[in-house]
Amino acid sequence: MLPVAAWRRRFGEWLNRRIPAARSVTLDQKRIFILPSRVGVFFLVCLLVMLLTAINYQNNMSYALTFLLTTLFIVGILHTYANLSGLTLQAVRARPAYPGQLTEFELRLDRGGRRPRFGLRLGWPGGDERVVSLVDSDSEEVKLHCPVGERGWFHPGRLLVESTYPLGLLRCWTWVDLDLRALVYPRPLASAELPGSAADQPRGSAVPVAGIDDFYGFRNYRQGDSLRHVHWKGHAKGQSLQSKQYAAYADSSLWLDWAAFPGAASERRLSHLCYWALEFERRHRDYGLRLPGVTVEPGSGERHLERVLTALALHPAGRVS
Amino acid sequence: MKAVQQVPRNALAWLLVSMFALLAPHAQRVPVWVLAVYAACAVWRLQVYRGRWSFPGRPVKFGLILVACAGIWLSYGSLLGLEPTVALLLTAFALKLLELARRQDAYVLLFLAYFICITEFLFTQDLLIVLYAVVNVLLVTTALVALHQSGRQRFDWSSLRHAAVMLAQAFPLMIVLFFLFPRIGPLWTVPIKTQAAKTGVSDFMRPGDISRLSQSGEVAFRVQFEGEIPPASELYWRGLVFSRLRDGTWSSLDYYDLPPGERRPGPVATRGEPLDYSVIMMPTRQNWLYSLRYAESAQGGVMQAPDFRLFRPVEIEDQYRYRARSWPAAPLEPELSAWRRATELRLPQHGNPETRALARRLREESGSDADYIERVLAMFREQPFVYTLQPPLLGEQAMDEFLFQTRRGFCEHYAHAFTLMMRAAGVPARVVAGYQGGEINPVNRTVIVHQFDAHAWAEVWLAGEGWRRVDPTAAVSPDRIEQGLEQALAGEGSFLADSPLSAVRYRSIDWVNWLRLRYDALTYRWQSWVVGFDSDRQMDFLQRWLGQLSARTFLAVLFGGFALVLVPVALSLLRHRGRVPRDPLDRLYLALCDRLAARGLARRRGEAPGEFADRVAVALPAVGDTVRRATGLYTAQRYGPPTTQEDSRRARRALRLALRQLARRGKYRE
Repeated sequence: MLPVAAWRRRFGEWLNRRIPAARSVTLDQKRIFILPSRVGVFFLVCLLVMLLTAINYQNNMSYALTFLLTTLFIVGILHTYANLSGLTLQAVRARPAYPGQLTEFELRLDRGGRRPRFGLRLGWPGGDERVVSLVDSDSEEVKLHCPVGERGWFHPGRLLVESTYPLGLLRCWTWVDLDLRALVYPRPLASAELPGSAADQPRGSAVPVAGIDDFYGFRNYRQGDSLRHVHWKGHAKGQSLQSKQYAAYADSSLWLDWAAFPGAASERRLSHLCYWALEFERRHRDYGLRLPGVTVEPGSGERHLERVLTALALHPAGRVS
Repeated sequence: MKAVQQVPRNALAWLLVSMFALLAPHAQRVPVWVLAVYAACAVWRLQVYRGRWSFPGRPVKFGLILVACAGIWLSYGSLLGLEPTVALLLTAFALKLLELARRQDAYVLLFLAYFICITEFLFTQDLLIVLYAVVNVLLVTTALVALHQSGRQRFDWSSLRHAAVMLAQAFPLMIVLFFLFPRIGPLWTVPIKTQAAKTGVSDFMRPGDISRLSQSGEVAFRVQFEGEIPPASELYWRGLVFSRLRDGTWSSLDYYDLPPGERRPGPVATRGEPLDYSVIMMPTRQNWLYSLRYAESAQGGVMQAPDFRLFRPVEIEDQYRYRARSWPAAPLEPELSAWRRATELRLPQHGNPETRALARRLREESGSDADYIERVLAMFREQPFVYTLQPPLLGEQAMDEFLFQTRRGFCEHYAHAFTLMMRAAGVPARVVAGYQGGEINPVNRTVIVHQFDAHAWAEVWLAGEGWRRVDPTAAVSPDRIEQGLEQALAGEGSFLADSPLSAVRYRSIDWVNWLRLRYDALTYRWQSWVVGFDSDRQMDFLQRWLGQLSARTFLAVLFGGFALVLVPVALSLLRHRGRVPRDPLDRLYLALCDRLAARGLARRRGEAPGEFADRVAVALPAVGDTVRRATGLYTAQRYGPPTTQEDSRRARRALRLALRQLARRGKYRE
């Protein structure tokens, strides 16, 4: 058992050196492997039978046909290879998911040239498979589903891309790492009413919180700022990228607090917080998040929920304890 | 979730087309019910495709297989042998169609189809059949390609084109393998064509046998002489020697009929100029070879019988090529052994009394055996004997009737009567059967011998001279020997009367004859170079072209030949994937990025050109300004308001300058 695991690890390391992870991969000879498929091996056995027929009957035309099929097999190596070579795979996006669900990865296939590509089979081991042909269009978006693991970043591993076109006798494949990862949120877990879910904050305090109501100033663009808030006019004039800041006023904000579940295991706390975040969102309430080291100011809406769930998903506590 | 591999509609269509194309050349060889099974299975599968019927269940399939096997056993009397095997393969092919649902089934079917192509060659390697087989292979390969083109909805020719391209690329490689692959002998004995009829001259002769053979316009063999072709009247192709007459039938002696001392031919004093020639025989399923007297062959597998004919211990199943050397003037057996003499004089106790009486009378009137021969021939010449393909039927005393009443006969009648008269008069004589004459093809100077050139004549032993050839037919119809059967029968209209489609029949039409002779010359070349390419030819060929054979030259030619074909194919395939052509400005900017990347400064994903230029300015201050300026002009071109030609040129110049500076700095550093 051990040597197998060791070999697998060494193969993985070799593969990482040979085909490093990248968001966009164009397949070339460094990345493509080719061997006879199972059908191809069967075909070779058939060729052997034909050769024996030719030898035993001393029949030159049988020799000729046997050799024609043999060389067809050899030429097929190039054609099978050409079906995969030059193909570009690009990671587009990955959808977050809850544990036990399927996440959806979106890839883009570009044939890079005008030659049609047939029967490109994509899939992760354990995930689903898609067969794609690029005949009438140069590129295609492919959605692949894959079951995710536990909370945190889910790496689907290397994507298998294979094709046996045009003869089915040879299998041409590669394992690409498109540097794809999907966020896995904590598993929502219901609990008794969250302590302090009734408003225990003074109402109407004029604390400027990131919101969408009133413009109050500029700040340097930070990754994650909404593109709608970017000060494009200024940028076109040659200034650096600036985001417009808007203020909202915290109102009856609820806090999802790490400390609200004394005694519970950290993973469980995160699950409860996740549940309540979803619940408050459903009830259209504003809510904030306080975790050791992370604070998300109160707010609501899809993007806010995403921010909160991301903070929960990536919180290290679960893995520490 | 695994994607299910269905059989695309186009693949099914190509499969059905190739299925019937494969059957066509075999159609005359298999029982009619196999054709019916074929058609029924095709219809059934089509109905399944249209959703009308369903696939047969397992019990039905097993039932069909059993019935098919039983049918073949009933039709052929066995399941072994080549024809039953082919019928079995074809039936299996048709039945497999009934469970063709997934791609895996299609593979089995298609590989079976390739194998059926090969079985056709075991029956004939005729040029036209081979061309037809190429079409078949193309169709099957097309089906194989279509099987993997699942994206296509409508029918198109692209799978055919792709298959044709691949086969065309494979073809030259196949030629290399064909000439280099060592030809070795059979590894074990294989089923033979049990059902095929024996053709050509048979090993016994009754009146009517040869005239039946003469109805056929098929080619018996082709001969290529190394020197001049002898005149037609000298072309007596000896095949069989009949020494035994029993119940009105002449037959040859078996090996075990001979006493041990007589089983090997005696020494022959060769004399005169020898003739060298090679013969390509069509399959006869018999053992004897045809040669001019007196022939020897140095070729392995060719033996010589004590009556100076050549034979092969193995039946001639396929086209067979042999070389021989003949000395027409060599005397044969000037001394006759007692056993041989007795054998060549032996007659049945009774029968044909009038003929025997005539023979004794004529011999008594003659001064010598030679004189006696002349008298008998004169009788044939002077009395109203007729040479005809349609002789009347003869009764119990066949020769008496023939000589004294009907006087109409074909060569076997004359040979029979003549030899009988010789033996009755105490002169050793025997019948020789084979072919006489042949057609000279002016295109390549081969002699084409057809079945209708089949002939029988006599050999008479004369003291001091040995065996002498005497052809009584020549006395009756000199035209037969000088000009061939067609001329000899010109008045009768019976030449090839039963073969209205034979091209030989239309020799008188110039262009038909021209085509026929061209095609025959091509066939000869095909047979001698491709079909007859055996280990001897291979050695000759390789030594002629490669000189002394060594493993190194062998491998060099093999891999060199492969590389010569595969490298251009690979290049053309990979060149196709070339990038979409880019605007010259983009190309320059991307070149700049590449060069910077080589310096370890790769543009990040999503990084704007301006930001990247700032980063470059920090890392490489020496080129920073140039890069920044070039980038600015470039982005203005790309994303700014419309500009003039001059601006675009300026941007290109700036980019080129940046590229040059980078190249120079690179040099200094190294």
